[in-house]
Amino acid sequence: MVELNRRATLALLGLGLAGTAVSWPRLSGGDIPGRNEDALTVALFGTAQDAAARQSLVDGFQKLHPDIPVRIIAVQGQDWSNFFAKILTMVAAGTPPDIVSVATEGTQLFAERLAQPIDEYVQRDAADLQEYFDDVNPSLIESFMYKGNLFQLPDNFNAANMYYNTSAFERAGLERPRDDWSVEDFFAVGRTMRDSATGSFLPYFWNNRLWGGVVPWLYVNDTSFLTEEKASGGDWLWSQFYPNEAPRGGGYLWQHADALNERTIESFEVLQQMVGEGIAANPAQGGGNELVSLFSRGSVGMTPAGGFWVQGLNDAGLGNDEYDVTYFPKMRGQRHQFGAGGYAMMQTSQRKDEAWEWMKYCISREGMSIAHQKPDSSLPRRSLNAELYGGDMGPKHWEVFYDTLDRFPTTGPMPAPPQQAAVESALIKNVVSTITSGPTGVRRGLETMQRDLELALKGR
Amino acid sequence: MTTQTTPTTRAVVLPSGVVPAGTPERPRRQRGSRLLIWVFLAPTLIGLGLFSFVPIIGSFVLAFFRWDIISAPEFIGVGNFVDLAANPTVRVSFLNTIGFVVVAVTVQLAVALLLAILVQSRMPEWLRTFFRSALFFPLVLSAASVSLVMAYLFNQEFGLVNEFLGLFGVGNIGWLTTGFGAKVVVLLVYVWQNFGFTFLLFIGGLAAIPREVYEASSLDGAHGWSQFRNVTLPLVSPTMLVASVMAIISALQIFDQPYVLTRGGPGDETRTAVMVIYESAFQQLDFGLASAIGIVLTLLIMLVTAAQFQLSKRFVFYG
Repeated sequence: MVELNRRATLALLGLGLAGTAVSWPRLSGGDIPGRNEDALTVALFGTAQDAAARQSLVDGFQKLHPDIPVRIIAVQGQDWSNFFAKILTMVAAGTPPDIVSVATEGTQLFAERLAQPIDEYVQRDAADLQEYFDDVNPSLIESFMYKGNLFQLPDNFNAANMYYNTSAFERAGLERPRDDWSVEDFFAVGRTMRDSATGSFLPYFWNNRLWGGVVPWLYVNDTSFLTEEKASGGDWLWSQFYPNEAPRGGGYLWQHADALNERTIESFEVLQQMVGEGIAANPAQGGGNELVSLFSRGSVGMTPAGGFWVQGLNDAGLGNDEYDVTYFPKMRGQRHQFGAGGYAMMQTSQRKDEAWEWMKYCISREGMSIAHQKPDSSLPRRSLNAELYGGDMGPKHWEVFYDTLDRFPTTGPMPAPPQQAAVESALIKNVVSTITSGPTGVRRGLETMQRDLELALKGR
Repeated sequence: MTTQTTPTTRAVVLPSGVVPAGTPERPRRQRGSRLLIWVFLAPTLIGLGLFSFVPIIGSFVLAFFRWDIISAPEFIGVGNFVDLAANPTVRVSFLNTIGFVVVAVTVQLAVALLLAILVQSRMPEWLRTFFRSALFFPLVLSAASVSLVMAYLFNQEFGLVNEFLGLFGVGNIGWLTTGFGAKVVVLLVYVWQNFGFTFLLFIGGLAAIPREVYEASSLDGAHGWSQFRNVTLPLVSPTMLVASVMAIISALQIFDQPYVLTRGGPGDETRTAVMVIYESAFQQLDFGLASAIGIVLTLLIMLVTAAQFQLSKRFVFYG
């Protein structure tokens, strides 16, 4: 056995200290590019490749603001709640970003806890922003208001529309549905496709999630699984930027569970019938990764999706004429569901003025065009969508993506209160059992959903 | 290691590193050796302290607070434990976990022992090596990747499993969309992926049984089932104890397979205790409740393990 005398001990200790000193930047994370630099930090939900893809946006911004260095951080997550948890961890660790990209799912959580209202900035730069608001449907703006304040400006959105496979329609001898088609028409289309198909085929495939799951079927029946109210306030915004429209209030409030109202029960019974008749899939959970391949190879006839899917289908080799898009079928109404995204300024930011400049640039014509060069989402600026979808890539009726907002003015965001993660969890876990337990199981399933939603909203 | 006893040699080292009594340099060398021991132990002790003991203590303390990461923690006494007792999802998840452990561990031990006996029976050495590797292989795969592939295989409408069963006239089975089907798939995937280690333990246990014992029992007329019950099973029981302790601890912590395959659904049918810990902490930002559930789970694991060792006094044969 080796003996350790005092000299050797001191040498070992010295070696250890020297090693620690040499590797200190790595141990403390100080060697991460941009860290500890005085830069505006922007956190994105995505991969390092997504961050790299924003470099042209950064370059464009810095041409206008060469004195504001920008650092993009990509935060990977399985879903939005996972992303938020990581952002909160950054906040708790004392390294919060200055701006975070936040989608509808997290708007109210951020507004309640982390985000800075931008009312003052918008009012200050109202003259510059007028042309933006003129180009943007007010429903999108309204979705980013919370309790009377504005927190974000939308720079992308996706309404849940109905994609259909044109080959499956042709095989069944079907034509494009009317824009105001009803749920009965939907059943007729589904049955015809089902009966004319051979092999594994599903007329309607859907995923069990907050966006594009059961919610579109609730919205077209003028109902939801949560009560929907409007907060007061926000008049300054409506009167300034949308003077010809009735004021919309200060943003949505989803405060109570409402899974047991008769319309909600009716919508679930419709879904139960679809699944029972073999028209719709038993809803799978998750992000629908398999859906692109199923749809592109003709195994699925229809599915809910937004403008973001155009890029995915193109990547899967589907030609523009091999699919098309239309509105969701009507029940009591034809209100649609959408989700939007935009940047939120953090309350803790020491660079709020710079953060505001970034937000403004991202919603400018130039910024939005640079950030969305491919059709990976619809654009809040009405005027930019023709360029995005009307060129080489996009379905024949691409106008549906934006017309959904203009044509159905009550179209609104998915219900996402500050307790969104718990609410989504309560919804998702009860959907399958509600739909698959037969006609008598619908009310029983919704009773459990009501109980879980009440628990989720109550908080602790 | 040998002990050098030549008086002229200075470096006299005993197995324990202690210089023989009476040597004038003993205290100094003893100190040096002890220091060396601590130097070698330090990385492990620091690592364990920082990454195991401190989080365990932190988690225990956190269980008595309400904390959502961004606000200051608020002391609420046993409030989290009261809440978790009243929470139907937590209750169901623990019942699911216990039910899963009972079935999964039984199946895992039975399959592993059966395959170990088969692999240890007469066969060419190359074939034995092949089976040992092949049966252990699933363990080295990532649970998330395996579960993702299995989710595709068991898809109700487009999965290969239903496609194959369809050849025999079996209709589409809702493997992941019915409570029973989802439980079966989670169980299958978990056992398939985890029996490899138990299998290796049994291979070792079976190899340690002297051939003479079998020869003697054969002379006494024991063959087949009677030999298995009266010879193999008692002699492999120490291995069985170790395997079952490890299998139960691992099964109580099941997370990956149900999370990827079913997200705990349909309803709460496949929701497990660790899933609820994850959801409470990282989705609902309720770290206090998550810590409280973690403590209850830890106590459950300790209780079950202690019970196993207690029972082993009656059922384990140490020869």
